[in-house]
Amino acid sequence: MAESNLLNQNNLLILGILGGLIGIYLSGISTIGGLISCLGGICAIVWGADAIRRVASYGLGTGVPSIGYMSLGIATVGSIAGLTAVLAFPALGGLAIAAPILALVFTMIIGACMGLVAVKIIGMKIPIMVRCTVEIAGAASLSILAFSSAVAGGFAAADILNYVVAPGFIALFYIMNCMAIQHPYNACLGPNEEQTRTLKCAASTAFLAMTITGIIALSHAGVVPALLIVIVGLCGWYVSFKAFLKASYEAAASVKWTGLWPKVEE
Amino acid sequence: MELISLITLVILIVAGGICIGGGVHFIPVGGAPAAMSTATGVGTGTAMLAAGAGLTGLITAASMTGQAWYLVALAGAVGAMLMMGITMLIANFVYIFGVGIVPASSKASIDPITKLDQDPYKTPGTEGHGVPTVCFVSGIIGALLGGAGGGLVYFAVDSFASASPVLSGVNATAAAGLAAIVSVGIFFINSVAASYNIGGTIEGFHDPKFKRIPKGILASAIMSLVAAIFVILMLGGI
Repeated sequence: MAESNLLNQNNLLILGILGGLIGIYLSGISTIGGLISCLGGICAIVWGADAIRRVASYGLGTGVPSIGYMSLGIATVGSIAGLTAVLAFPALGGLAIAAPILALVFTMIIGACMGLVAVKIIGMKIPIMVRCTVEIAGAASLSILAFSSAVAGGFAAADILNYVVAPGFIALFYIMNCMAIQHPYNACLGPNEEQTRTLKCAASTAFLAMTITGIIALSHAGVVPALLIVIVGLCGWYVSFKAFLKASYEAAASVKWTGLWPKVEE
Repeated sequence: MELISLITLVILIVAGGICIGGGVHFIPVGGAPAAMSTATGVGTGTAMLAAGAGLTGLITAASMTGQAWYLVALAGAVGAMLMMGITMLIANFVYIFGVGIVPASSKASIDPITKLDQDPYKTPGTEGHGVPTVCFVSGIIGALLGGAGGGLVYFAVDSFASASPVLSGVNATAAAGLAAIVSVGIFFINSVAASYNIGGTIEGFHDPKFKRIPKGILASAIMSLVAAIFVILMLGGI
C-alpha cells in the first residue's frame, strides 16, 4: 500500500506544520486573519488524515476512530498547556510569541509517550505507531489552535480561554476536528483505498469543519471575517467533495466494468 | 498553590486515570462482529461506548461542581452507569426482538451470576450474541469505575483551575470549561490505551482477556501521570 502513495509523507508533514503554524501566526490580521488561520487548520487536518491512513492500515484492532479521539485528547491537553504555560510561569514570559510552537511541542511529547506506552507496555506490533501517534496528535493540536485562533482573533491565551474555552466551543472543536481527521480513512478504507481519494475526502471534511468554525466565529470575530470563512469554506467543500465523488466514481467504474474486485495489496 | 494540593492533583488524576483504564476492561465491547450479532457485547468500539457513558458521567459530575470529591465521583459514576445500562438494555432489545437471538456468552459455558447454560443457546459459528446477564453486570461495574474516574479527574482539574492564577483575569466559566475538556481528553487517552490493551473486543470480567488488566492499568497510570504533569504546566503552581 505504501508504494502507491503519490504524496510523500514528509512533504505532507511539512505542509501540515508550516501551513498550520503560518495560519495561526497570521490569525491576528484584521478581516482576513481568521480565514488564513482556518486554511492553516485545513493543512493540518489533511496531514493528520494521511497519518491516520498510514497507521490504521496496519489494523489497530479498535477501529479507526479510537486513535482519532485519543489524539484529540492528547492535543487538547498539550495545546492548552502550551498556550497557558507562558501565563502560568512568569519565567517563560518572553516565550509568549512562541506559544503555538510550544503547544505543538507539548502535544508531540505527550503523543510520543502514548506511542511508547502502546508499543513498549501494551505490546502493539505496529512499527510506525510512535511516529504516527506523534503526527496525528500534532495535526490535531494545530487544527484546534488554528480554528480557535480564528474564533478568538489571535492566539493569545487569555482570548482563547475567554472566547473558545469558556463558552464550550473547545468541546465542539474536539469532536469536529476528530471527525475531520479520522473520518476520511474510516470512510475510504478497503481493498482499493488510495491516498489521493482519501485526502480529497479529508479536504472536504476539513472545509466543512471550517464552515462551522465560520459560524462560530460570528460570536466574537465579527460579521465580515466570519462570513468570509463560511463562504470560502463552503466553496472549498463543494470543490473538494465534487473531486472526491468523481474519484469514487472512477474507482468504482473499474469494478463495474470488469466485474472483478481489485487485487488486495498486502 | 501549596505543595500538598499539587500532590493531591497528581494523585487524583492518576487514580482517576486508573479507574477509567480499569473500568474499560469490564465493559462488554463487541465491535463490528457484535453489530452483526455474531459476537457478545454491544456492537460498537470502545471509543464510542466510552464516549457515551463517560461523557454522560462527566455531565453529571459537573453538575456537582463545588462539592466534595466523593460526591463528584459518585455523581459521575451514577451518570455513567445509567448511560451504560440504557445502552446495553436497548442493544439487547434490538438483538432479542429485532435480530431474534438469545443473549448468550461464548467465554463462559455457564453464566457465573444466573448459573444458566450458555452453550446450547449459542448459534454455531458465532462468538455468542447479545448482552447476557454477566456481561450486563460487568458493564455496570465498568461504567461505575469509568464514571467515578472521570469525576475524580474533573474534580481535580476544576479545583486546581479555580485557584490558578492563570485564570484570574478571564471569564469565570473558563475554569469549568477547561476542567471539562481536559477531563474529556484524559478520559479518551485512558480509555483508548485500555482498548489497545484488550485488542478491541472483550466480554467482561469472565473473559480470558480480562487477565491483561495489570498492563492496562500500568499504561493508564503512566499516561495519567504524563497528563497530570502537563496540567500542572497548564495551570502553574510550582
